[in-house]
Amino acid sequence: MKLSVRMVVVLTSVGLLSGSFLATVGILTKERIEINKQRVIEEAIIKVVPGTESSTKLYEAKDFKVYGGKDPDGTLIGYGILVSGIGFQDKITLMLGTNISLTKTTRLEIIEQKETPGLGAKIEDEDVFLKFWEGRDCSQPISLRKPAVKTAEELAASEVNTITGATISSESVLKIVNNSVERLRQLIKEGNLQKGEQDAR
Amino acid sequence: MPARSIGQEFTKGLWSENPVFRQLLGLCPTLAVTGWVINGLAMGLATSFVLIFSSLVVSIIKKLIPSQVRIASYIVIIATFVTVADRFLAAYFPDISKDLGPYVPLIVVNCIILGRQEAFSSKNSVGRSLIDALGMSSGFVLALLVLSSIREILGSGTYLGHQVMGSWFKPWIIMILPAGAFLALGILLGIALQIEKKTKSRV
Repeated sequence: MKLSVRMVVVLTSVGLLSGSFLATVGILTKERIEINKQRVIEEAIIKVVPGTESSTKLYEAKDFKVYGGKDPDGTLIGYGILVSGIGFQDKITLMLGTNISLTKTTRLEIIEQKETPGLGAKIEDEDVFLKFWEGRDCSQPISLRKPAVKTAEELAASEVNTITGATISSESVLKIVNNSVERLRQLIKEGNLQKGEQDAR
Repeated sequence: MPARSIGQEFTKGLWSENPVFRQLLGLCPTLAVTGWVINGLAMGLATSFVLIFSSLVVSIIKKLIPSQVRIASYIVIIATFVTVADRFLAAYFPDISKDLGPYVPLIVVNCIILGRQEAFSSKNSVGRSLIDALGMSSGFVLALLVLSSIREILGSGTYLGHQVMGSWFKPWIIMILPAGAFLALGILLGIALQIEKKTKSRV
């Protein structure tokens, strides 16, 4: 066989074989990975909306899902917004908990991120970042406090702390949160949010 | 090259040609994920899986691959096994998969793996390639274990998540930060070099 033909044949077959092998592995693992993701979401709702006993999916769009957290009586006590947006170098997926009137945040959880380890990845850090997101006033857009402060008391009601050395990651999270709160508020105003007849799973 | 016995083919990866301590290959994951033993171990095993199976496949099909496209073929083969490892971790060990983050896909560019294909599997028999890959993998896992043990014990006072240091111990935060990885690796390399020197001069 001519060399040039052989090169094409070998590379193509290596590619094809690898591809079909990977497709098989993909199909075999898909279900479990989905289950894991679902579990992460359910655990996140319980964390971001304190007191949640069960949850329902209220709205679903690409990269934007709204879950409702319910107390043991079945009353809606808060929203968990699962949203993805662009971070410093890749997508950040987070879940924000808010109260039912959408005026206060309850908690922020980072579901998935690929920010710079040691810098932007601190958006997952409780003491540096996440704890400053509890109980913020989100009736107006939340803003960043720069330079960073040490305690939550030093922040204004609608301010959150910046991560020193990771301004872009902090701003990305802020932007994702502000946009999603605004979007949810719009949805509620237009009456497009289902009233919780659909189960989260 | 003098012919090595099968045993030597295996043990060279553990010490005399240890990928981390002697060849200084694959340092990106070595430095990045060794803050905790469990992560170091998972990374070591994932890399071993990729290395062993890539070496196996490459040594089997080495005669079929024209040398002009060998690197491209190796990369495709390596990337296939890396994706398998990545999916497997995501499906069965989601927490570890989350901790390791981008470093599992990055095994593709780990020089140990491509290096072994180019330097060994493409020139040696299937059996020898397998032994070589096993040896190199064990050497890599060993290096990650040593490094992550030092970093976890000093940096968090724990081992595999269990408290091992008394309450008097104040964790050296620097050891779990990137700087701690460089410090620990530097000192280990120095020790490895000293031992090597001592054993050489005796011969």
